[in-house]
Amino acid sequence: MAKVNRPQVSVEDHERLARKLGVSSAGEELTVEELRRVIDTSDDEEFASMGEAVRDELRGELDDDLIERELSELATQLQRLPEVREAGIPDGETEPETLYRELVAPGWRIYDHLVETGFFESVEAALPRFTPEHIERTAHGLIRSEPLAAALEECGFDERERTVLVMNVVNNNNRLARWTPTKDIPDEVEFNVEDVPPLQQRAMGGSLLWVKNLDIHLWQKKFLITDEILDDGYWDVKAMLGGLYVMATAAHAIATDGSLSDEQLAAALSASTAIMITNQEEIVKDMFWITEEMRKPSTLR
Amino acid sequence: MSIDEDRAVKAAQDTVVRETDNGYRVLGAPEKSVTHQHDIDRIPEKDVTQEMLSESGQNPEAWLVYGGNYEQHRHTTCEIITPENVGELELEYEMSVGSGSSMEGTPLIVPGDPPIMYQSNGPNHIKAIDPREGEVLWSYTYAVPNDVVLCCDDNNRGPAVYEDKVFMTTLDSGVVALDRYSGEEQWYHSTADHERGYSATWAPQVYEGTLFTGSAGGEYGVRGFHTAIDTETGDEVWNTLLSPETEWVGDSINQSGTTNWMGATVDEQRGKLYLPMGNPGPDFDGSVRPGPNRNSIGTMCLDMETGEHEWFHQESAHDVWDYDSAMPRIVIRDVEIRGKERDVTVSVGKTGWLYTTDAETGELLVRSEPLCQQLNMFRMIPHIDEGRRVPFMPGGMGGNDWQPGTYNPELGISYHKLHNSFQEAWWRFEEFEAGKKYWGGILEDETEAEPEGYNGHISVITAVKPLTGEVVWQDWIDSDVYLWGGTMSTKTGLMFAGNQNGEMVGYDGESGERLWEYDAGDAPISGDPMSWYDPGTEKQYVAIQVGGSGWLRRGKRDDRLLVFSMEE
Repeated sequence: MAKVNRPQVSVEDHERLARKLGVSSAGEELTVEELRRVIDTSDDEEFASMGEAVRDELRGELDDDLIERELSELATQLQRLPEVREAGIPDGETEPETLYRELVAPGWRIYDHLVETGFFESVEAALPRFTPEHIERTAHGLIRSEPLAAALEECGFDERERTVLVMNVVNNNNRLARWTPTKDIPDEVEFNVEDVPPLQQRAMGGSLLWVKNLDIHLWQKKFLITDEILDDGYWDVKAMLGGLYVMATAAHAIATDGSLSDEQLAAALSASTAIMITNQEEIVKDMFWITEEMRKPSTLR
Repeated sequence: MSIDEDRAVKAAQDTVVRETDNGYRVLGAPEKSVTHQHDIDRIPEKDVTQEMLSESGQNPEAWLVYGGNYEQHRHTTCEIITPENVGELELEYEMSVGSGSSMEGTPLIVPGDPPIMYQSNGPNHIKAIDPREGEVLWSYTYAVPNDVVLCCDDNNRGPAVYEDKVFMTTLDSGVVALDRYSGEEQWYHSTADHERGYSATWAPQVYEGTLFTGSAGGEYGVRGFHTAIDTETGDEVWNTLLSPETEWVGDSINQSGTTNWMGATVDEQRGKLYLPMGNPGPDFDGSVRPGPNRNSIGTMCLDMETGEHEWFHQESAHDVWDYDSAMPRIVIRDVEIRGKERDVTVSVGKTGWLYTTDAETGELLVRSEPLCQQLNMFRMIPHIDEGRRVPFMPGGMGGNDWQPGTYNPELGISYHKLHNSFQEAWWRFEEFEAGKKYWGGILEDETEAEPEGYNGHISVITAVKPLTGEVVWQDWIDSDVYLWGGTMSTKTGLMFAGNQNGEMVGYDGESGERLWEYDAGDAPISGDPMSWYDPGTEKQYVAIQVGGSGWLRRGKRDDRLLVFSMEE
């Protein structure tokens, strides 16, 4: 049971992280604290200008009281995760009782507010698509941002988990590159671009939908669900909510015009997007696409 | 009069369906729909009542609804043909229906003297036939607009009947009602704009004066719906969008697919409809439609009176393989399962599993053993580009695509036709235009390699127990073309199915032994077998349509209706 509810990280993951950040791992498990000490600390003005652009665009638009209240609620929900895992599958005779949906209730309220205020459009307009260069900048910004580390610590992410969130950003170049910002889908190609929400909205909205649907999914498919499936999904849920917390923290910083520098703001917006994208692709594999090998054996044959 | 002089047949023959880069396009259709009457006086003017529809499954003289009964068992209670004598089953006659396009449907039989068969095929051609003689009494061809586009051939999978009317869905996303006795058009109802990519190919369902019809166009960026229509007037009763706003991110719902392109199953005891649900849109690019994408790919339950959503069970969340779940749902009543007596719904989708769910709640009770091979399944193909192709099974064709299965309540076994083939898929950007194909990726049938462990058989017919998920037997089939069409079981323990090698086969339902085979030539049999007893001739008949269909590896076209018989 040692690995239960813990993000699974391999030596290769650590080596890849070290390689991409240009630091030496020496076969050791890296931590955010160690990375902060060894990576380049010079200012990145171009990256900071992205944060500044978002801040300028949204100044006065966001409700700091609402976001602060829901951030607090979200932190409370994150603290509830162990008891949700303990419950595992929602009870209910004819339909599932609310279990996972409660986790995302504050997240939905934040999301709705951000949709109403045009937050996602502004963020997408300011940030570039995920390229290796932008991902590296994002990772540097995330690692160097002590306020973000503190925020994640407050809502229940330990040092190892915070490092894994950094890995979610750094180690997924190809995966993140496939999530194209709506503004970068050329008008003359692909589908009706007008109906594609901004990338950051897809990241947050998708994460909320995955967690919300766990109630009905697990309840309906209880005869397929194993403890391993629940354990694997635990981290995916926590990471998505953590990503959401970081994005909401950035929104709060914009609303209050403080607490994060422009560079930290850009890092928070970009990193949270990457974390939510990566982990919604993990949860579908860990909990929803249940192969013959993953399922609980049938008791009927 | 021969059908050579039949104007409706001629109109259907002139209606050409041409494959283009954007799917199938209908050309040369008549400007106005055409009815040609032959000997319509032979049709008994006795209306089909609701009672007759409700008892269709128990009446060996009738096949009044698409699935034989509302529960879609495709099971005949006629007991003349048995495992012991099926070897003597002979061809009574074969008739050319005159239009050799898609032949995927189920004919209906209205009992009488003579019984009347209503038989349809692509492109939107329907006939009333005296099945004793194989003679056409009237025929009708719908005037399909020339700008209709279709993903997957010009299919029409069968009509519905009620009172004095026969109903047919139309390729331009409509329903047409004809006078059953004369073939004359009564009303037409358009359910959606075909220029947006909507179409209709399935057999509609009718219950107590309301017709139920769905939506197709999931490859063209549409949003799925289900519609109820008054059978007398053609007016809409309700229309329900199938993908909920609360389950999609922002405007992605506007082109969410999530259609139901095969007919609903009517649960008259509960007052519910069970819909087989198709893919989310776009097919392969999941990044523009994050989340599980409910209510795509699974079983959707609606209230029959209001169209309100009741429950949904999903078979492939956030699907990126085009794993539609199109087989009409089978309902099995009053079964003891997991310690409780209940009614259940049964589906087999492209995923290749059978799912048995509680009809009241949608709770999954049984997921069967795999009914076909599953190799490299549920791999994350959005992150595979053309340079890193991985063949996966089931491929985008399934598994079980639309092929309707049969359930034998005496044996507790259902029978399903599945593809056992692999494909590759990867992302690419592609041009979007309303009504144009919208896949967001490539599905490649000609793969670079086959998956490790592939058994080499392109198709399989699998017998399975829906209450336990146990596979009872499998008949693996080799061919260069795909397997389409449905199956039919008999109270005497037989199971009939045609296949792509032109064989019509009578199986022992328990063992899978081929007890009888008929060689229909080199054209695939893509229709659904059905059966009736005619007290006037004292014979049991089995009928099936012959001809290649579909959009890929469909084989040779044909236009024959085969009718087999055995005397009492």
